[in-house]
Amino acid sequence: MSAHPRTSRRHRGLTAFWNTVAMLIAVVLAFPIYWMVLTTVKSNKDLISQHPTFWPSHFDFSSYSSAMEDNFGGNLLNTLVITLGSVAISLVVGLLAALAVARFDFRGRKPFIVAILVVQMVPLLTILVGLLPVLNATNLYGSVLGVIAAYLIFTIPFIIWTLRTYIVGIPAELDEAAMVDGCTKAQAFRRVVLPLLTPGLVSTGVFAWIQAWNEFVMARQILAPADNKTAMVWLTFFSSTPTHGADYGGQMAGALIIAAPVIILFTIFQSRLSTGLTAGAVKG
Amino acid sequence: MSVIENRASRRKVQPPPPRKRAVTVRGRSLPYLFLAPATVVLVTMLGYPLVRMVMLAFQNMNNYRKFVNPGLVSWVGLDTFDSILKDSVFWEVVRRTFVWTALNVALSMVLAMAIAALLGRISSWARITLITVLLFVWSMPTIVTGTVFRWLFDNAYGVIDYILYLCGGKGMLHHDWFADPKQGLYVVVTSVVVWGALPFLVLALHAGMTQVPTELKEAARVDGASTLQVYRNVTLPILRPLLLITTALSFIWDFQCFNQIWTMRNGAPEQGYWTIGVYLFEQAFDRNRYSDGAVISLAMIVLMLLLLVFYIRQMLKIGDQK
Repeated sequence: MSAHPRTSRRHRGLTAFWNTVAMLIAVVLAFPIYWMVLTTVKSNKDLISQHPTFWPSHFDFSSYSSAMEDNFGGNLLNTLVITLGSVAISLVVGLLAALAVARFDFRGRKPFIVAILVVQMVPLLTILVGLLPVLNATNLYGSVLGVIAAYLIFTIPFIIWTLRTYIVGIPAELDEAAMVDGCTKAQAFRRVVLPLLTPGLVSTGVFAWIQAWNEFVMARQILAPADNKTAMVWLTFFSSTPTHGADYGGQMAGALIIAAPVIILFTIFQSRLSTGLTAGAVKG
Repeated sequence: MSVIENRASRRKVQPPPPRKRAVTVRGRSLPYLFLAPATVVLVTMLGYPLVRMVMLAFQNMNNYRKFVNPGLVSWVGLDTFDSILKDSVFWEVVRRTFVWTALNVALSMVLAMAIAALLGRISSWARITLITVLLFVWSMPTIVTGTVFRWLFDNAYGVIDYILYLCGGKGMLHHDWFADPKQGLYVVVTSVVVWGALPFLVLALHAGMTQVPTELKEAARVDGASTLQVYRNVTLPILRPLLLITTALSFIWDFQCFNQIWTMRNGAPEQGYWTIGVYLFEQAFDRNRYSDGAVISLAMIVLMLLLLVFYIRQMLKIGDQK
C-alpha cells in the first residue's frame, strides 16, 4: 500500500507489465495442449496443409473414429481392470500398514518408514530387470494379474506414505474418547477414524490410480506376449504402425481420450495434492 | 506417536490383571499383523526381484533362449561387469546422462524460480489463469506429452517449424529437429521435460514464497534494501531447504527419464538419444540382454546414490551454518 499517487501509478503500470508477461507465459505453456485438441477436430486436408491454421476451417471429428481402430476398446478395458485392481488391493494393504506406523509404537517402526521412503527412489526400470525373469518363472508373465502385482511396487509405498500423514492428522484423543465411552478399538476405528479418513482415502486412491494409469514400461514388457495391452502402450504402438504413423489426427484423438480421465480427476483433486506436498516440504 | 492401548490402560485405576495382559499382548502383535500384508507384497514383488537383478549381474542371461529356459543360465563372475565397463558406449551414455540431467535441472529450476516470483506480483485474475494452465500441463501423462510434442516438432507439417517460419526463419519450414541427436536431445526433449516439470516446481516454490513473512521483507525495505537485495538476502535463505528438496527431486526424475525420449523417437531412439534409462531398456528388453541390463541397473543405482550423497552432505552443511 503506497499513499503516494505517483508511486501507485508507477506500481499499477508495473503490474500491467508483469500481467502481460504472465499471460505470454500462459499462452506458451498452454499451446501444446491447445494444438493437441485442435488437431483432433481438423480435417485431414487441414492437417497436411503447408500453412497450418490456428483455428479449423471446419470441424471434422473423423480423427476420433480412426483412433478407435487397432483394438482401442480392448486395451482400454484392460487398463481399467489393471488400474482399479491394483489400487483396490494397495488401498487395503496400504491402509493397514499406514495405521500401524501412524497409531502404534513398536520396534522396527523407524526402519520400516525409512524403507518405504528409500523404495520409492529405486528406478522402476532397474526393478523390472529382475522382475521379468521372476514373473516368467510363474504364470504371471503376459497376464493382467502380473501387471496388477507389479503396480503394487509403487502404489503401496505411495499409499502408506500419504495415508500416514492423513492418519497422524486425526488426533488420537478422538479414538481414546470413543473408547472411554465404551467402544472397542475396532468400533472406535470404524465410527471415528474411518469417517474422518475417507477424504484422504479417496484422494490417495485417485493419485495412485493416476500413477497406475500413466505407467508405461512395466505394462509394455509384462504384457509383451499378450494381445491386449494398456492404453499408454496402445498409444505408442498405434503411433508407430504403418497405417497410423503419420495419422496425427488419430494419434492426438487417442492421446486426448486416454489423457482425459487423468486431466479431469487431477484438476478436481489437485488442491489436496498441493497441500500435501507443501506440508511434506515444511516437515522435511 | 501415541500408544492408545497403553494410555487407555494407564487411565484405569485398577485394571484387572488378566485382561490387561491380554490387551498388551494383542497391542504388541497387532502392528506387526497390520504390516504383514504390505511387507509380504513388497518383499516378493520388489525385494526378491532386486536380489534376482543382482544375481543376474553375475550370470550370462544374455539372449531370449536363456530367458525362456533359465536352466541354460550359468554363473560367469565379473565377466559382464568387465564387458560393460570396458564398453565406450557405456561411458558415453553416463557422460551424456549427467550433462543432460544437469541442463534440465538448471533450466527447470531457474525458470520455475522466475515464474514463481512472477506469480507473487501479478493481479489475481492473471495468477488464477496461469495456475490453471500449469495444472493442465501438470496433469498430462508423459507418454501423451511425448506423442504431442513429436507432432509439434514434425518436420513435414509440424507447427513449430511453421511458427518459426512466420517469425522470419525462412529456412525453418521443413527443419528436421531430430536429425542431429544433439539438437533433438538437448533442445527438443529438454523443452518437453522442462515443460512437464515446471508446474510442480512453480507451484511448490510459489507456496514456499508466500510463507516468507511480509514483515521481514518490509523491515529490509525500510532499512534501504532494493527489491533484488530483499530477494537475495531474505527470500532465498528462507527458501533454501525447499530449493534443495525440489532440486534433488528434479535430479532424480530427469536422471531416469525414459518415457519422453522413447515416445519422441517413436519407440526406436537412435544411439545419440541414449541416456542411462534408455540405454538400460535397449540392452535389457529390446535385445533381451538381461545380465547386461542388470549391470547397467546397478551402475544406475550407484550413480543415483552418488548424487544423493552429495545432496545429503549439502543438507548437513547447511544445517551446520545455521
